[in-house]
Amino acid sequence: METTTMIQVKELTRTFKRFTLGPLNLDVERGIAVGVIGANGSGKTTLFRLIMRLLKEDTGNIQMFGLTEENDEWKGKIGFAGGLLDAYDFLRVEELKNLISRWYPAWDEDQFLYFVNRYKIDVFERFGKCSKGTKKKLEFVFALSHNPELLLLDEPTAGVDLVSQRKMKEDLIRFMEDGTKSILLATHEVDEINQLCDEIVVLDRGRVMHRYNKDDIYDQWARIWVSVVNDDLIHHPNVIHYETAPPQIVTNQVEAIQEIVQKNEMKIQHIQRLSMEEVLEYLIESN
Amino acid sequence: MKIPIQISDESREPIYHQIENQLRTLIAGGQLPPGTPLPSIRALASELGCSVITTRRVYQNLEMSGFIKTVQGKGTFVREIDHEQLQKTKQKVIYDAFEKAIEQGVQLGCTEEELKSIFEELVRKNFH
Repeated sequence: METTTMIQVKELTRTFKRFTLGPLNLDVERGIAVGVIGANGSGKTTLFRLIMRLLKEDTGNIQMFGLTEENDEWKGKIGFAGGLLDAYDFLRVEELKNLISRWYPAWDEDQFLYFVNRYKIDVFERFGKCSKGTKKKLEFVFALSHNPELLLLDEPTAGVDLVSQRKMKEDLIRFMEDGTKSILLATHEVDEINQLCDEIVVLDRGRVMHRYNKDDIYDQWARIWVSVVNDDLIHHPNVIHYETAPPQIVTNQVEAIQEIVQKNEMKIQHIQRLSMEEVLEYLIESN
Repeated sequence: MKIPIQISDESREPIYHQIENQLRTLIAGGQLPPGTPLPSIRALASELGCSVITTRRVYQNLEMSGFIKTVQGKGTFVREIDHEQLQKTKQKVIYDAFEKAIEQGVQLGCTEEELKSIFEELVRKNFH
């Protein structure tokens, strides 16, 4: 049986002049799509570059597909889209494809041609002349055209037109369809979290601040309208936000609040789930 | 392959439960007749904005209680369900709906008499 853990990051650190990543722990299971969110500068791109071995860690280790040592086999199993092609600005798309396809034994030319057509990419254009969105689409296409098992995508749809964004989401859902593949996706798009991800990792200042199963968020986070917002609620660790007119709180643990309300003989007027957008904002802001 | 399932913002019922109950209702009510193909767990999760962990659990539960079956390599389909199962499901759906309505009535301060008279009025309106 193949390993069930695609990526396992343990106590990873890397220090730069003005930023330290880690110590950071993270794992990505087979069949699961993990969304990485965090404000600009929280370390998402650095994390991807460390996983791809484009940067060397100071301490800690990364296992891919159960292997600690980097080898050609695991590089072939990864599809990476994260702004690495800029060094090849002078090549035409077709030439770039010829170069990249040689890196991957499992390169699928038909798949590539299908995507080029689907995303309306002109293969005779110089890469450097392509728009920001087209470059993003190309990276995405290259990442998907060699039958990877794991996709590492760093904001894949930033700057991409709406129709292509929808197509990319469709292609990613199809990629995940058989349950044996995984995605690690850094994004600022709520739709991508909603439609693609099973788990959410929140990065802040180089560390994993939270990790959630998406459905636990839906079930445990809520806005609760109460008869009165007293000090017990205001200072409660599970109260993320409160307002007094009309009295309401936002919590990440509904049951804990129900208990407090009961103990204080207050009343719950209404409970409502939060939208993912609201939750993500609280998660990023609260750090 | 869209199916009319909706996760309620107002209900405290866990998501997997909501999805499972709605699917049961659709199958028992005949809106999803036997043989109907269902979306994959990934497609359904994407549609509803939940995780595959939840949709897999729903499909496993429905499979165990005989509502659906998964054919390797072909997908998941609605099964022919037996009469007893059908009756049980219908009853449960109706019970749950009444229960919810009564809860709401109580919350608004209705008396037993008031609730009964509303119920009777509605039954009369629909059957006569």
